[in-house]
Amino acid sequence: MLRAFAQAFRTPDLRRKLLFTMGIIVIFRIGSFLPTPGVNYANVQTCVSASADNDVLGLINLFSGGALLQLSVFALGIMPYITASIIVQLLRVVIPHFEALHKEGQAGTAKLTQYTRYLTIFLAILQATTIITTARTGVLFGGCGEAGGTIPVISDDSAVTILLAILTMTAGTGLVMWLAELITERGVGNGMSLLIFISIAASFPAALWTVANAQGGFMTFLLVVLLALLLIAVVVFVEQSQRRIPVQYAKRMVGRRVYGGTSTYIPIKINMAGVIPVIFASSILMLPTLLAQFGDQNAGWVQWILRHFATPASPFYLITFALLILFFAFFYTSITFNPDEVADNMKRYGGFVPGIRAGRPTAEYLRYVINRVTSAGSIYLVLVALIPTLAFVLLGISNIPFGGTSLLIIVGVGLETVKQIDSQLQQRHYEGILK
Amino acid sequence: MSESSTAEANRPGKSSKEQQPGLFARIALFVRQVVAELRKVVTPTRSELVNYTIVVLVFVLLVMAFVFVLDFGIGKLVMWVFGTPSA
Repeated sequence: MLRAFAQAFRTPDLRRKLLFTMGIIVIFRIGSFLPTPGVNYANVQTCVSASADNDVLGLINLFSGGALLQLSVFALGIMPYITASIIVQLLRVVIPHFEALHKEGQAGTAKLTQYTRYLTIFLAILQATTIITTARTGVLFGGCGEAGGTIPVISDDSAVTILLAILTMTAGTGLVMWLAELITERGVGNGMSLLIFISIAASFPAALWTVANAQGGFMTFLLVVLLALLLIAVVVFVEQSQRRIPVQYAKRMVGRRVYGGTSTYIPIKINMAGVIPVIFASSILMLPTLLAQFGDQNAGWVQWILRHFATPASPFYLITFALLILFFAFFYTSITFNPDEVADNMKRYGGFVPGIRAGRPTAEYLRYVINRVTSAGSIYLVLVALIPTLAFVLLGISNIPFGGTSLLIIVGVGLETVKQIDSQLQQRHYEGILK
Repeated sequence: MSESSTAEANRPGKSSKEQQPGLFARIALFVRQVVAELRKVVTPTRSELVNYTIVVLVFVLLVMAFVFVLDFGIGKLVMWVFGTPSA
């Protein structure tokens, strides 16, 4: 099995893709460290260590791989792009023009991608402005690093510098977006999810280190690791399970040859939407906290948001999170798998589900199965996403090292990427990583 | 999804109450259907599960190690270029 990893590097085609992806990752990480112009790096470091246990921005910081609090060029990371693509996909339901574009095929999809990019830049400007402003007033670091204070985060507090910083962060986001698309096109795996995976993976060792050091000692650490292993196994188990709908293809005579007559199945995964609902749900839940940064810190609604949304352990947060995951699981499944289309295709090629007539009844049957399977799948997503948080609360670990969200993303994206590498290995008749 | 739509259709005082079973009966039916579908699910075998889990674990650890080393190097470099705290 491990030999197969090496084999992946020995296949010229795959090696190029892997090295390309790694190169992009290197660029991504460099940008996550490089400070934005105008930012005083040394003072930022002082402020970060001073406000280390401020978990208001913890999750956002986690998704940017620690880049956010560094005020680096890639401070916003991949999140604006993800948020933008959620919004565009949601708008497909609302705006008929978008749905028409989607149905148009490749040209329409390209247009939608274009809209997503514009929206990303817009969101990036918004978020960059938020971050720079809050850093300038000292809110970002919990009162540390005010402009004009003893250790200003932004040394030169002029309009030009601030504009430059905002511009740089926005441009950085644009670059990250491009990097993600490059990975999808020419590397391995899905760029968007791979970059978020990298960001989380970057802060994981530090998170584990905190658990090992700070609280509860060795036993707690062991418990946390065991829990993580168990969850990984559960995620793998569910992701690999599928409901197979048998499909029989009719025999056709074309000339003197017989075609078809085979029986296959439509694999329907329990959780068809993958990790997308979790990513969507958590990025939407970040919005209130981000919004609160704009407001007066003593205002009632800001306090309310900070109390309920800033800490992953608050019941209100957990319930909203669960509901959002449920919604997005169904929503995304309905976007990615269209029963009518599948039924239509089957009819065209002479396929049918045994016992069910082709055409509309088949589509209805598919819908019936998907709704029931997804019901189970979405509940599984909610459970896996919430169990670690609940477990940490029960164990009495106050600052949560990793949520179910990050674990789900890591395992989900890892599994997806490994499978993609594996299938490319098998194309070349190697035995593959996953025997 | 269909749960919520059935819940809406079953407001108290509707005339169609005789034809359709109650809300709870339908929820129970739905749950039974979900379980029935789950019974038809093909699950990975034990060896498959173990294999996949280990592969994913190794992959994730490899990536983490790669990023960790990378971060360490870049961090040192940036520190060197842009100065250390309280310098």
